[in-house]
Amino acid sequence: MRKFKDIDYLPLRPKGGTFDSKVGTLDWVLFALLFIYGLIIIYPFYNAFLISISPEEVYNSTPFLLYPKAVTWSNYATVFADQEFWNGFKITLILLFVGTAYQLFFTVITGYALSRNKWVGKNLVMNMILVTMFFGGGLIPYMALIYSLGLNNSLAVLIIPGAIDTYNMLLMRNYFASLPPDLEESAKIDGANDIQIFYKVYLPMSLPMLATVGLFFAVGNWNSWYNAMLFINKPELRPLQYVLQLKITQASSQVDNLVIDDKFSAEGLKMASVFFTIVPMMCFYPFLQKFFVKGLVVGAIKG
Amino acid sequence: MNKKLIIDSLSPLNDIGNRTRKSKYLILMIIPAIIFYVIFCYFPMYGIIIAFKDYDLGGEILTSPWIGFDNFRSIFSFPKFWSALKNTVIIGVSKLLISFVAAILMALLINEIRLRVFKKTFQTVVTFPHFLSWVIVAGLVLNIFGPAGIIDSIAQAVNGGESIELTHDPDFFLPMIFSTDVWKEAGWSSIIYLATMAGISPELYEAADIDGATRFQKLWHITLPAIKPTAILLLILSIGGILSAGFDQIYNMYNSAVIDAGVADILDTYIYRSTIQQGGLFPGEGAAVGLFKSVVSFILVIMVDRIAKLSGERGII
Repeated sequence: MRKFKDIDYLPLRPKGGTFDSKVGTLDWVLFALLFIYGLIIIYPFYNAFLISISPEEVYNSTPFLLYPKAVTWSNYATVFADQEFWNGFKITLILLFVGTAYQLFFTVITGYALSRNKWVGKNLVMNMILVTMFFGGGLIPYMALIYSLGLNNSLAVLIIPGAIDTYNMLLMRNYFASLPPDLEESAKIDGANDIQIFYKVYLPMSLPMLATVGLFFAVGNWNSWYNAMLFINKPELRPLQYVLQLKITQASSQVDNLVIDDKFSAEGLKMASVFFTIVPMMCFYPFLQKFFVKGLVVGAIKG
Repeated sequence: MNKKLIIDSLSPLNDIGNRTRKSKYLILMIIPAIIFYVIFCYFPMYGIIIAFKDYDLGGEILTSPWIGFDNFRSIFSFPKFWSALKNTVIIGVSKLLISFVAAILMALLINEIRLRVFKKTFQTVVTFPHFLSWVIVAGLVLNIFGPAGIIDSIAQAVNGGESIELTHDPDFFLPMIFSTDVWKEAGWSSIIYLATMAGISPELYEAADIDGATRFQKLWHITLPAIKPTAILLLILSIGGILSAGFDQIYNMYNSAVIDAGVADILDTYIYRSTIQQGGLFPGEGAAVGLFKSVVSFILVIMVDRIAKLSGERGII
């Protein structure tokens, strides 16, 4: 396996080569091109932020802003005063902590068990799991299952069905399998059983990978809205993203004949609530980026 | 490993019961997974029989009456089903190809950046949108193209009150879907190619330099051939997902205008909207559409795997 630091940020050119390091016209063209692309990525965020801090009459008279003409925080005040948002935030935090811990636990122990050699039925279990990656029952049978389990309209439906993510489980499995097997042998000789070997020997060695998989789960939980849309009718159980979905996209898609929340029809308020949801991600992402990149690269190489 | 197996099988102690006893803790660790997959993956597979039954959501699957292929007969007679299937194929295939090309192009461009600070910053910026939900991205996009969005507001100011609602324009819908998909995912997808490029031996470039190769020649004759196996593998891996053309994206971006124009609905949104949200399909019919999708996707995966193995690439199953 390639080392983490090599794939984190890739060197411009392999070091030590005899390359022309002179910056030519081509480099400037490239720079300009990518700079513009970067602006295209950033602009929607910047624009959303501008609109969220502009008073409504400023936005109505000059919708295309490059800098704030007048600043108001009233949109944010309205969002923060909105009970539904705080409630959604609370549900999302529960998913973020309880859900992530729950998913991590089951995904990691499964990955570990499948990474060990020789136990009866391992191939059968492995194949049983792999089949589910290529074939599934579909939405309606899944909903029928959740209804018959009585999970609908409960917080449990947002957590329990996510116990194991097959992709992340295989990522963990491949990682455990890549660690030296001698450790297991010597721990066995010392009289340790498989569970002790797992949490005393292999788990401490796998903390970076654990962080990666945990972060994938955390992002998934922060962004989750689909299960809530399918199974949650009670407003007090809606996670943040679903609250947002109802207020913003569904209101404008007019699919549902939903009563559009008048209070949230103003663009400034919509953007304040969107921005409120992006900010935590923006703050954490630059520091956590290397973990995500690692997960992607390790997964694809070993895949 | 093979050697070990042979030794194990020669051992007189080696019977299944003994091996099970020896690995009882590992089996203990796998039991939750078995329960999980049986309940949440295999029960829904069993639930596929809904497609052959007259079933009502929340009812009893077993006792619902069998109706043979009636559900399939009725969905095949719905123009909306065919329209959704057509859109699914169009959107799925186009997104696959566009994002494939965009990711490689992005990786090649990033790889050519010589200013390291810019490279790092650029990568952080372009990979960030991958971590936002489509709810958020749709919110940002609607804010620009949607009713009362920037373009609409400018148009109203210029045209004297006449609005341009691009998100409601059937001709604009697909380009919007494709471009927002690139906006959100291209940076992230490029990482895998960049990792492959980092593994290319520097000696190849050095030799090319000595031979006087230009930058473009090096890209064409060294970098591209080096990422070709990765590219082919990723391409065939994604073919099985063509019929899942992106529920989250479409669902958050479409509206009644583009649905009625017949350009927006994909199989997944059709199943959800018509069975659950608005009505139009019986649950049995919704399950039939889902089964149709699952079976076709599965056949695609098998075919692609065969083709990949025949042409000497690594298979996926």
